[in-house]
Amino acid sequence: MTELAYRSYNFFTKRQSGLLVVIGLLVLLLLFGAFISDRFSSASNILNVFEQSTGLALVSLGQTMAVLTAGIDLSVGSMISLLSVLLSGTIDGEAARVLPVCLGIMVLGAAIGSLNGLTVIWLKVHPLIVTLGMGALLQGVTLLYTLGPAGSVPFEFDFVAYGRVAGLPVGAVFTIVLFILVALFLRYVPFGRFIYAVGDDEAGARLMGLPRKRVLVFVYAFSGFCCALTAIYLVGRFGVGNVYTGQNYTLASITPVVVGGTLLTGGRGGVIGTLFGVYLISLLNNLLNFMDISTHYQLIIQGLIIILAVSVYVEKKRAV
Amino acid sequence: MQQAVNAEMSTTNQKSRAIKELGARYGIHLALVALIVVSGIVSPAFLSGNNISNMLLQAAPLGIVVIGQAFVILVRGLDLSVASIMATAAVVATAFNGQPGDVIPIILIALGIGLCTGLINGLLVTKRDVSPFLATLATMIVLQGLRFAYTQGAPSGNVPHFFRIIGAETFYGLPYNVVILAILAVIFSVVLHKAAFGRQVYITGGNPKVAQLVGINADQVTIICYVISGGLAAIAGLVLSGFVGIVDNWVGRGFELDSIVAAVMGGIALSGGRGSILGGLVGAAILIVVFNAVLLFGMPVQFQIIIKGIVIVIAAAFYVKRGA
Amino acid sequence: MLTLTSISKSFPGVKALDQVDLDVRAGEIHGLLGENGAGKSTLTKTIAGVYQPDEGQIEFDGEIIHWTAPGDAKDAGIHVIYQEFVLFPHLSVAENIFLGNERRNGLGLIDYAQTRRDARELLQRLGVDIDPDQLVSELTVADQQMVEIAKAMVHKVKLLILDEPTAVISGHEVELLFKRLEALKADGVAIIYISHRLEEIFEICDRVTVLKDGQFVDSKKIDEIDRDQLIALMVGRDMSELFPIKEDDAPAGDVVLRAQNISVNGRVHNASIELRAGEITALAGMVGAGRTELAMGIFGGLPLKSGTVEIDGETYSQMNPALAIKMGIGLVTEDRKGQGLAMQLDVAANVTASDLGSVTQSGLINFTKEFKIAEQEIEEYQIACRGPRNPVATMSGGNQQKVIVARWARTCSKVLILDEPTRGVDVGAKTEIYRIMRELAAKGIAILMISSELPEVVGMSDRVVVMREGIVTGELSKEELSEEAIMQLATQQEAA
Repeated sequence: MTELAYRSYNFFTKRQSGLLVVIGLLVLLLLFGAFISDRFSSASNILNVFEQSTGLALVSLGQTMAVLTAGIDLSVGSMISLLSVLLSGTIDGEAARVLPVCLGIMVLGAAIGSLNGLTVIWLKVHPLIVTLGMGALLQGVTLLYTLGPAGSVPFEFDFVAYGRVAGLPVGAVFTIVLFILVALFLRYVPFGRFIYAVGDDEAGARLMGLPRKRVLVFVYAFSGFCCALTAIYLVGRFGVGNVYTGQNYTLASITPVVVGGTLLTGGRGGVIGTLFGVYLISLLNNLLNFMDISTHYQLIIQGLIIILAVSVYVEKKRAV
Repeated sequence: MQQAVNAEMSTTNQKSRAIKELGARYGIHLALVALIVVSGIVSPAFLSGNNISNMLLQAAPLGIVVIGQAFVILVRGLDLSVASIMATAAVVATAFNGQPGDVIPIILIALGIGLCTGLINGLLVTKRDVSPFLATLATMIVLQGLRFAYTQGAPSGNVPHFFRIIGAETFYGLPYNVVILAILAVIFSVVLHKAAFGRQVYITGGNPKVAQLVGINADQVTIICYVISGGLAAIAGLVLSGFVGIVDNWVGRGFELDSIVAAVMGGIALSGGRGSILGGLVGAAILIVVFNAVLLFGMPVQFQIIIKGIVIVIAAAFYVKRGA
Repeated sequence: MLTLTSISKSFPGVKALDQVDLDVRAGEIHGLLGENGAGKSTLTKTIAGVYQPDEGQIEFDGEIIHWTAPGDAKDAGIHVIYQEFVLFPHLSVAENIFLGNERRNGLGLIDYAQTRRDARELLQRLGVDIDPDQLVSELTVADQQMVEIAKAMVHKVKLLILDEPTAVISGHEVELLFKRLEALKADGVAIIYISHRLEEIFEICDRVTVLKDGQFVDSKKIDEIDRDQLIALMVGRDMSELFPIKEDDAPAGDVVLRAQNISVNGRVHNASIELRAGEITALAGMVGAGRTELAMGIFGGLPLKSGTVEIDGETYSQMNPALAIKMGIGLVTEDRKGQGLAMQLDVAANVTASDLGSVTQSGLINFTKEFKIAEQEIEEYQIACRGPRNPVATMSGGNQQKVIVARWARTCSKVLILDEPTRGVDVGAKTEIYRIMRELAAKGIAILMISSELPEVVGMSDRVVVMREGIVTGELSKEELSEEAIMQLATQQEAA
């Protein structure tokens, strides 16, 4: 028991110091919300918030992986837009096409993501620039394909966004399960450890003969795959893919990662922190709605949260 | 004998190195010239006075932002808040509903917002050790929120005539906004390339540790760079508000990334300490020329973005290969 | 175990290895010696598969091999402990030990219980008490080194290469390390031991190979050679020729700087030192003894926890670089790339960096004046470059070092501190730097030279202050000066 206590102490104070902070904030928020409004803390409202945050959660999951390797993926917004118009455009109302097209979209997302990773490796250009360029390229391709909403999906497709099984939102449950699987992967599969190692010290990883290139291709491919999942969810939610569907997700996906305690310098943090970060931000916005505070001020608060979060997590400067 | 061989080896090495350096330094200028020549041959309309004047009009606001971005990138930073500052300045421009007497207060308020945002960015980066990406992302969002709260989502009112003139009109074909860009470019080129402060910028960006040990106040230098960027973004916002005439909440949208793209293409290294204002402006010019050429060549407008995406990666790769 | 035949490796502009032979047997500790830049690191990296040789043949464990990546050599049983450890600070000790070789359960997943057990057992076998759950960033440097060795044992290591392992650890820890190495040797592991310290080579190695300027010089059994012969092989010339002779034996001047009871951030405790005009004082001791930190504290690069610096009649309890420069102190740092030069800037900009005011008129830089100053300095210090506008990044280590010395010689009117001024520079530049130091001293400047090279300390200094583990352990006058006396003070154990 003491061993376990010691280990969990170690885990929370050293590995995932962000996790405690973000969970603490979440609890405070829920308490405060319960105090302000009965409806806020009702199960149905919380479930709704979880359901609606599925899109942000999925894209932030992929973003976390990129950030863990000390990279960043700025192409996610354009990628989601492209994949969502391709999705509804190709399905075009035919129920029989749903499954193959969804699978195809996932493969395509992963493929575009790998291209990001490969470009980072081949050209030795910073991921920020590579994914920025890729984002522009994908945006252009999207607009070549269509200038507005494209195609349609069968009515039943909204199940991915609004479906409930035994009263629980499928999207949110799927998201939580996926996050847990990825967390376990990062912890229990050797390759997951390599992701941390590459982010911690890339030159060292190379000297150790760790598969640095495979790690980079994998994280960007995974980020692309997550964009595909996000696109599927958003198409389910809005009934159609649009050229601007993903636009705000590029920068929005970074906030939960940072709030969840993953450092932009790589090698530290984890996906569970990100999930809590997503819920923290979504619940906060929801609460502000209840308090009748306009979305304008929600932006201000979101910006302040980023500043607060990064100021808390900043590592002490190393001496000379 | 051995020494002679070594010496010979090192001179040929130096020669090829010198050529590489020249390539790295002037490659982008040559690219711009080549682009203009090719465009002019393919489409004679490209070199018409009207078209050139048009391109210059478009280039000026971007150029002004790039100058500020250059300072920030030189000290190993990045400024994502510039577009938000521009939009806010543009909203300010409409605040007094176009009365001619309000030009001075508008300029002062807009500048004040830009300078303050820059100051906050700089303080966050230096004193709180926040990464520039996140610091400027946060101020960008906060400023956006403040702007929305102020306009309640829908800005109204007119831009004073004065800004319409400097933003959209020309003097015998020479746009006024290009004159402003030129003046600013000269002033800040002097600051960066001739003044002691500029040298401090290069040393701070090139090696912050060295800056500390030779007695430079690196934090102060960094903060000033962010302040310059904020101030110039405010000016660019006013100029752009005059160019577009009507103001919404998104004037300048995309300028944060375009200005970074232009700076990187112009040889300003994200790793800090390398690059020039002229390079950044050439980068901006290339972007504008590419945009313009895409239209003149009858290509779909979407190719503007696609080509931009490809060009930035290629340009960055070019500098990685040469500069290392 | 390992046989290298005629290995050559070139980098742009440099022939780092030229027809090098090396032969290391199982169950021996093989010393690899050579001055800085002799090619030891390149050779190590070639064996480890980081570099591929241009020519020559590597035979390991009876097979001719062509490694294309560091992973190949590791799989074959070669483990390198670099000077800069390859450890991941935010992973635990156990995770680091088994990284790339994870303990797995039946499902192929990492078995943390097993990992922890095995790590504990390995560390126990090494006789060290380290908690496998700790993060590596929390360990002392000596413990980190033990983790590196534990990593090697996971791989059933056949050949272990240690690059300057004792540079970062001190007396007692060195003994422990040697015990482990003897034990590994008894298990039949081949060990290549790279070190500058001849005492260690004689203590632990069975055979030794000397490299010089990228070329193989000789391989000898350790009992067939003595210290002087070994030095002769390494430098190929009599060391005393290197040091310019002090012209006149003028007595040292007044005390110009007095640092008293200085403490810096856990690395320096209550150290006091005095510098006199015209005198070269050496600050000796092992790497990590706190010498650099003491110098940084005096210069203001690190905050003083306690103590005072007295210069020019003023006493300060806290310094900063701008103040130090104003008071006439200069600091040539140990780490040229990291702390010495803005690599992308040119010679002129680097020379004037600490004194921008002298070339500035109403805020603008007078480029003509700066150019002339730089030209003079290039002439004065014989800096090989294409002129004042040559970017320093393209110059050799020795010439870069001269640029830094020129910068500080220009602005220091009283005190010049040089931290390992000849590390990584070629012999020619070395003599040049010694000459400059002598000249500056003759002009009445007080010089403080931090050096780990004992011959350099003995050859150059008028007086030596020795530090160990953050404490000043003694002072030697010119008459008392000898390598043995310095080593005594630098390594002595505290009285029980």
